[in-house]
Amino acid sequence: DGEFSAKRASTALPRCLLLPLADNKQKTDRVLVRVQDLIPEKADQLIWLRARVHTSRAKGKQCFLVLRQQQFNLQALVAVGDRASKQMVKFAANITKESIVDVEAFVRTVEQKIESCSQQDVELHIERIFVISQAEPRLPLQLEDAVRPDGDGEEEGRATVNQDTKLDNRVIDLRTTTSQAIFRLQSGVCQLFRDTLTEKGFVEIQTPKIISAASEGGANVFTVSYFKTSAYLAQSPQLYKQMCICGDFEKVFCVGPVFRAEDSNTHRHLTEFVGLDIEMAFSYHYHEVIDSITDTMVRIFKGLRDNFQTEIQTVNKQFPSEPFKFLEPTLRLEYTEAVAMLHEAGVEMGDEEDLSTPNEKLLGRLVKEKYDTDFYVLDKYPLAVRPFYTMPDPNNPKYSNSYDMFMRGEEILSGAQRVHDAQLLTDRANHHQIDLEKIKAYIDSFRYGAPPHGGGGIGLERVCMLYLGLHNIRQTSMFPRDPKRLTP
Amino acid sequence: MPMYQVKPVSGSHVKTDLPTCMYAVPNVHALQNGEVEPAVKALEARQDEIMRKLYELKAAVEGLAKTVTTPDADLDLTVSSSSSLSSQSPTSTTFRGTTDLDALLGKVTILKLDLGALRDIVINANPAQPPLTLLVLHSVLCQRYRVLSTVHVHSSASSVPPQLLSCLGPRHPDSYARQMFQLGFTLIWKDVPKLQMKFSVQNMCPVEGEANVARFLFKLLSPYPSDPAVATLVDSWVDTAFFQLAEGSSKERATVLRALNAALGRNPWLAGPEFSLADIACYCCVLQSASASSAPTNVQRWIKACENLGHFGPAKLYLK
Repeated sequence: DGEFSAKRASTALPRCLLLPLADNKQKTDRVLVRVQDLIPEKADQLIWLRARVHTSRAKGKQCFLVLRQQQFNLQALVAVGDRASKQMVKFAANITKESIVDVEAFVRTVEQKIESCSQQDVELHIERIFVISQAEPRLPLQLEDAVRPDGDGEEEGRATVNQDTKLDNRVIDLRTTTSQAIFRLQSGVCQLFRDTLTEKGFVEIQTPKIISAASEGGANVFTVSYFKTSAYLAQSPQLYKQMCICGDFEKVFCVGPVFRAEDSNTHRHLTEFVGLDIEMAFSYHYHEVIDSITDTMVRIFKGLRDNFQTEIQTVNKQFPSEPFKFLEPTLRLEYTEAVAMLHEAGVEMGDEEDLSTPNEKLLGRLVKEKYDTDFYVLDKYPLAVRPFYTMPDPNNPKYSNSYDMFMRGEEILSGAQRVHDAQLLTDRANHHQIDLEKIKAYIDSFRYGAPPHGGGGIGLERVCMLYLGLHNIRQTSMFPRDPKRLTP
Repeated sequence: MPMYQVKPVSGSHVKTDLPTCMYAVPNVHALQNGEVEPAVKALEARQDEIMRKLYELKAAVEGLAKTVTTPDADLDLTVSSSSSLSSQSPTSTTFRGTTDLDALLGKVTILKLDLGALRDIVINANPAQPPLTLLVLHSVLCQRYRVLSTVHVHSSASSVPPQLLSCLGPRHPDSYARQMFQLGFTLIWKDVPKLQMKFSVQNMCPVEGEANVARFLFKLLSPYPSDPAVATLVDSWVDTAFFQLAEGSSKERATVLRALNAALGRNPWLAGPEFSLADIACYCCVLQSASASSAPTNVQRWIKACENLGHFGPAKLYLK
């Protein structure tokens, strides 16, 4: 249907057509141009282009289309004339939104800038248009609505899209400029993490996710049936990272999924997320580990600041936020200083008490006020609030060689120097009343000579969320998993 | 003498217990055996404590009010000025500073015991205008107290030359244990229009301008001269240094150099017989404006005298 031949064309080749699926049978020499490359310098060239139809609207004898490729779009028009008939214009106007089309067109310059498109100085005059893949006419959500900032929607009475709807129809939501920008930035974070650590001499490892015993203790593990018995999904790669250090790899990192069966429905918890974990042996003081981790983080921030500005600006259009600030070298405060700052601000808390989430946020604001940084390290936590494998401070038994790192007042990394002596580890485990049978394999790995080591892990989604100043971790997780969501 | 006197009807004076409370109600918070719950007792104790502190505060405020309104505040300066400028000023401005940082900076905490935590002074400076005066004061502070110095570059600053990163000297070997230091000196190179210092976010607003930060740091080393005339002179030289020497046109600078020459002709140092903040500020500004070589004779002599004191090492090092 829609087949039509031009009045004066000698060939009977159709100029607009719904191509059948089996049409991808031949490899052609046709070169498809990218929308972002269409600039006034290419004026009057005849090009082929594959893009999505963002909108199509008929106006009398013309049909205006906006064609989109990822974050770029431009205007195209089909006009009744010697190259196109009325039926062709009608065909173009009826192409459903989001359908993928192949277009042969002339690039023409325009006198007035087209403000609503990314390519503002050119438009396409279509010679031929073919539909490669048609979209259903009723879309579950409109892309303009999905990108609209929340405030605007309420004021002008225009719709914005609920987060749940977006997550249920993730395939369409991922096409928006904001989502494209967020996930490109996330890919950048992962890339920078790998590159920086590889440059520092770290080795990437892959650790098993099906394990026999819960490593951190506690009930927040998923159980899977494993042939005749059951096994658990790894809460963190901690145990295996440390075994690699005992296996003489000295500096390792791993990127992989982490599963936490916490029934928390908050803005920053997922049941499955991507963990970027580091572990390294040090020579004389665990601050070597802290310096290494903070240097990596600063390099990641600098890489994002220098190479991903377009993506950051795109996200800020829908979710405005302050740009991320940091110091180099990274600010390191001690726990006692933090408690003093909180006391000064009127918070009542004990010296050995853990920081509650509101206190962490307040501390983040105080540090931001005094030092103007969104990223800092809090060192020397009290021993009582840390897990059993944390090395106590040799100078002060109340404290431990452990540290947390914060971005925008929220914790992103919890790390420490690990106990590398089997006897001390057993003592600490007994002190915490942990069943030694369950962690026998863990303690055994330190019996045959283990170097002093430490490390920590960050969550990829949380780091992206906090860097961009977003408020819900589901925005930075492509297909998020939480206690209430298991699909898509 | 009363007119009629009647003999008392009852024999002895009976002691009567007049009740103070009209209606007595059993204590709602009491437990079964009539004792008061400990939580309530604690609450009462806390309230009493707060009331006591309030009275103490009231007494302190009244004391302050008295000192403000006493005749000392309207001291007639014209009587004592001429004598104090020429004679030896009683408080010495050489650096025999007090180590009682608590008195100078106030206790870190209000409610709880002093935790002995590090008191951190944060200075945000623009790398285009490095504060020489503060570098000099920093090196003097390091001789007086245990100072933990760190230099950071803020994400807003684009490129900072390497000598600015090491301007506070080499890293202290004990810098991994912040608690062991009395004072923190954190210098952040940042894109700020004006130099800024932050110390106690709750109690102080940021201090702006190199002159004011210099005054704050100097007071940690030794108190300002108690003679108000000398103190004002020091202040006015400090302001002259920063406004006219450093930022002024070449004409203004020439005027200041002539004034310096005249002042130094009468006294060995700018504010009289003792070395003071005025000398530090003017020396640094003269050096920074690169007018040292073209200065008049008294000023040249004074510059050499300053350098002989040995505090100005970092400034000269930076300028090289």
